[in-house]
Formats: sequence, C-alpha cells, structure tokens
Amino acid sequence: MIYEKPRFLPGGDRYMLIEFGNEMNLELNFMAQGLASIIEKSQTKAVIETAPCFASMLIHYDPDAIGFKDLAKEMTSLIGSLGPSDDIELDSRLFYFPTCYLDPWTKAAVDDYCAKITKKKWDPEFVAELNGLKDVHQFVRVHSGTEYWVASLGFWPGLPFMMALDPRCVITAPKYNPPRTWTPQGTVGMGGASTAIYPVATPGGYQIFARIPVPIWDTDKRFPQFEKSICLFQPGDRVKFVPVSPQEFEEVEVRVKDGTYVYNVVEYQRFSVRNYKAWVKTLNKNERF
Amino acid sequence: MFEVIVPGLETSIQDYPGRIGFWNQGFPPSGPMDSWSFRIANLLVGNEAGAAGLEAQYMGPTLKFQRDGVIAITGADMQPKLDAQPVPLWESIAVKAGQTLALTSSKTGARSYIAIAGGIDTPAWLGSRSTFHKAGVGGMQGRALQKGQVVPVAKGKGTPGRKTKPECRPTFATDKIWTIEVVAGPNDDWVDEAGHKRFLSTDWKLSSKSDRTGFRLEGPQWTFTEKAYKKAPENGAEPSNIIDQGYPLGAINLAGQTPIILVNDGPSMGGFINPYTVPSATFWKLGQSKPGDIYRFKSISVDDAQTLRKELNAICSASSIA
Repeated sequence: MIYEKPRFLPGGDRYMLIEFGNEMNLELNFMAQGLASIIEKSQTKAVIETAPCFASMLIHYDPDAIGFKDLAKEMTSLIGSLGPSDDIELDSRLFYFPTCYLDPWTKAAVDDYCAKITKKKWDPEFVAELNGLKDVHQFVRVHSGTEYWVASLGFWPGLPFMMALDPRCVITAPKYNPPRTWTPQGTVGMGGASTAIYPVATPGGYQIFARIPVPIWDTDKRFPQFEKSICLFQPGDRVKFVPVSPQEFEEVEVRVKDGTYVYNVVEYQRFSVRNYKAWVKTLNKNERF
Repeated sequence: MFEVIVPGLETSIQDYPGRIGFWNQGFPPSGPMDSWSFRIANLLVGNEAGAAGLEAQYMGPTLKFQRDGVIAITGADMQPKLDAQPVPLWESIAVKAGQTLALTSSKTGARSYIAIAGGIDTPAWLGSRSTFHKAGVGGMQGRALQKGQVVPVAKGKGTPGRKTKPECRPTFATDKIWTIEVVAGPNDDWVDEAGHKRFLSTDWKLSSKSDRTGFRLEGPQWTFTEKAYKKAPENGAEPSNIIDQGYPLGAINLAGQTPIILVNDGPSMGGFINPYTVPSATFWKLGQSKPGDIYRFKSISVDDAQTLRKELNAICSASSIA
C-alpha cells in the first residue's frame, strides 16, 4: 500500500529514511524520485544528499544545521507540493543487453556457495518453482519478456535496481541467507521483485541466473557512454535483456576487451506515466509468456 | 614525499569526511574508520583536520622520507620507530630526509594513523583522496599502498613537540569488550520485543569476516514481529527481507540472521532490514576493535547521538593540542 502519510524513520544521528509505502510499484518510485529532485532544486539547507529507492528515500543531513523533527516537518511540506505522477513524462533511454541466461559462470558461483556455505537449489530452478513456472526455460522467457525500469542506483557504484514494467513478467524471489561471498561481474540477479546487474565481482544476496558481457561502469572511460559519468545508468532508463548463447556471450566479451563493442541504446523515447498506466489496465496480469 | 619500503597489511590513503555526495550512485564515503584519531593526527602537524593521511590496519608500514618534515602518529599502538628509535604517539615529530619510520603489529587498537605536515597530495577523485579499495578508486591507483611507491606530500609547516591533551585521546578497550552506542531504527519495528532485548543484552563477537565494507557479528538468532512475515511478496520471503531501501552508514544490517554493521566502504542500498544504526561518534570504536572482540550495544536516542557527535567534533579541534 501507499501510506496516507509518509513515515519518517531515524538512522543514527545523521540519516532519515522516508518510507512512502510498503510495496513495489512505479508510483512509489516516482514519489521518491520526485522528492529527490525538488530537494535538489529547492537547495534545502542541511540536506547533504539523498538516495531514492523503490518505495523510500534516504536523506543524509547535517544535524548541526537541523534537528530530526524539523527536517521531518520540512519534508512533509515538500512532499505536499508534489503534483500527481500521471503528469510525469521523462526522457527514457532503452539499453539492449546480450544476456546469457542459465550460464556456466553464475552456476559456478552457486555451486561454490553450496559447497562452502550452505546447500540450496540452483537459483533459476528455485525461482521458477516458487513462481509457479513450468521450468527454467519458462523462467527465462518470462524474465526476458519485459523492459525493466531503472528505479535507483546503489549498493555498489552504478548498480541498477530495476522493476519489470510488464506486470505479466513480475517474479519474486527471497534473498540468500547468509549472503554469497562472491558473484561474477555482469551477473543478473533478483531479490524481492527487483532485478539487478552486478557491475563488478562483489558479495551479494540476490538469486542469480544470467550474465551480461557489457560493462555498466568503467573507471577508465573506454566507451563514449561513460564520458559524463563512470556509471552507465540513470534513474528512468530502461533495460531489455536479450537471451544469447555462451558462445555469443564470449564473442561480445572479446569485442568489449578490444574496444570495438557498440552499445545498443535507443535514445528517442519518452516515458509517459499516464500512457503506461493506461496500457497496464488493458493487460491480464495473470498471464505468463 | 616518502617511499613505501614495506606496505603493511592494508595501508591506505584516506581523508575526512571522504567522498561525500555520491551515495545515490552507490559511492560510499570511505575515509578513516577512526576519524577521532585521524583528525587529531592532522591537527598535531598543523593540517586541516580532514587532510589526506594514512590509515594502517593491524600491521603498519615502513616508510622512508625523501625530505624533512613533521609527522604525527595516533590511534593503535604499532610501536613506531624512527631509525630504530621508539617515537611517541599522539605528538608531532620532526623527520629528516633519509630517515625510516617503521610500524609493526598493533598492541592496543587496530588502526594507526599517520599524518604528515602538508598532507598527502595524490589526485582527488570525485572530490576526495580516500581510497575505496573494492572499486579501485582514490588513493594511489585505487589500492592500498604497494612496495616501492613514492607518495607525494604537499608543502606544509609543522611544529614538532606538540602534544595531544591526555583527556582528548580515545581510550581503547584493553579487555576486548566495547560498549557500542546504537540508535533504534530505521526498521526497528520489524524486530519483536524479545529480539530487541536479546540484541541489547548479548555479547556479540566481531567476526574475522569483517572489512571496511562491513563488520559481521556472531551471536544468537533474531526474532521478528508480524510485519516481517505478513508482507507483500516483493519484500522477499525471509523475515529480514525488505523492499530495497537506502542504507544509513553505521546501519546494523540484518542479512538473513547475520548482523553486519555497514561501515565506511559499505553498500548504499539493499534489501535487508536495519533495526539499529551506530551513530557517527561511535565509529572510532569500530575502527579500533579487532576480530574476536566483544560488542555490547547500548541504545540511545537520536538527540543523544547528535550530542555525542557535537562533543566529538569539539574534541577534534585545535583546543585539544598543547
């Protein structure tokens, strides 16, 4: 649900978490993105930085300049000034990624976890079963059947938290307990209803089942996409995973290494919240691809 | 300038408060784990409190100075010696070109700080010189110091013989037991009353699987309120799973059943609950504890945490130097 009034929660002496609701939907993410952008525009004093996410936003503030209660008051009034999300229209780039589903590399990471930490079912099998899908092949079809919305970046520099835009492709999964100690670079995984790409090899808690050979962050700025930022994505971008074989994955990997890879991005589209909502209304959400 | 003769276990360039303003892209601040000792070291040599210096952990480096200068060593006692002669901590010391400073393993505390008059002058990356090892940015080539590197230092004037007032130095636990202040929230209402009592009454052991991204704690299982079970499926199935959210630095992040304190190089977001947060003024205790040490958590209010911060900031000022 979307809360009638947002909740203001303390995080030690210098953080406030504003929770707008307790589910994952675009509406809540628009509120978080919207609040972050008006805070930036209004130059709200004492706010050092914000980190919007799916249904909440974290504020890092300067407690020497403002107390927790006064900050909550100020945020309440800013949130009141946010208009209806239907009116939002955003430039939205669409990235196509060659994606090797059910790949040997993430399988090796899962096997290693089973051997060293605790036994578990192979992630794609586990997630397919949990979501009532026939097998891992249907899981691949459903997961790759939608565009994903980049709701926020975090956990690791440039790591996108994404939501399936097509409700017929929404899948959920629990996270690892305990987390993995390593995940291959470029791994695609999911936890809750969120899909993410691991920019580098890191620990992680998502179920993992695919890998892309294309860098999503680059400190050396070898590709033109990284000229403005070393992170590929911005909130409001979209991603489409295009299933490829391990052989194709390796071919693309070679092109990435020698610098001849060309990013497949379309940049002419705008995302209209009103149009999107109208389209979702026409769908039977229980259908699966 | 100085040359790295022996790098030590993981000696890195850090500044304070570090790389601030990029949390929404996932960049942590990095910076010194014990900013109290770090800031005092800088003040002793006449630098701004936040100037870039060295953080050494567990096993310190051996450095050879290439020009005369003034340094100060604070934090953990790694028995520093200058040309084989013991030198004191918590005061500024003159060094000459060609002299060698050698630190060994820490006797008390875990992290030593070395400040040099003028401050380390490596290129800043996103506004900070702090090393973020895991992503390979900041510092020198994005990594801990390596043997043979020559570290640039800006020109500065320090005065040797300046001392830190004894009451302005942090006191490190000698019995391996630390009282760690925590503020309840943001997700404290996911843990039931028994869970809160257990958290605050347990001797938690700091795991050896801890680093500058997170401090893992070993202790009993957690128990939860209804909220942790009756929730939308996109939260994830485990009780500690929540819709991905921004993480406060210092959050006690409950990954499954394992609490991990998110520290300076930690993640900015994720899908686990944070029932408590360690306030900024307590971070120095985390920085000076070693795996195997015991944490006892003490719950304080937001206001108290902000008062502690003010008090610490007042200590980290020129008035603490005599």
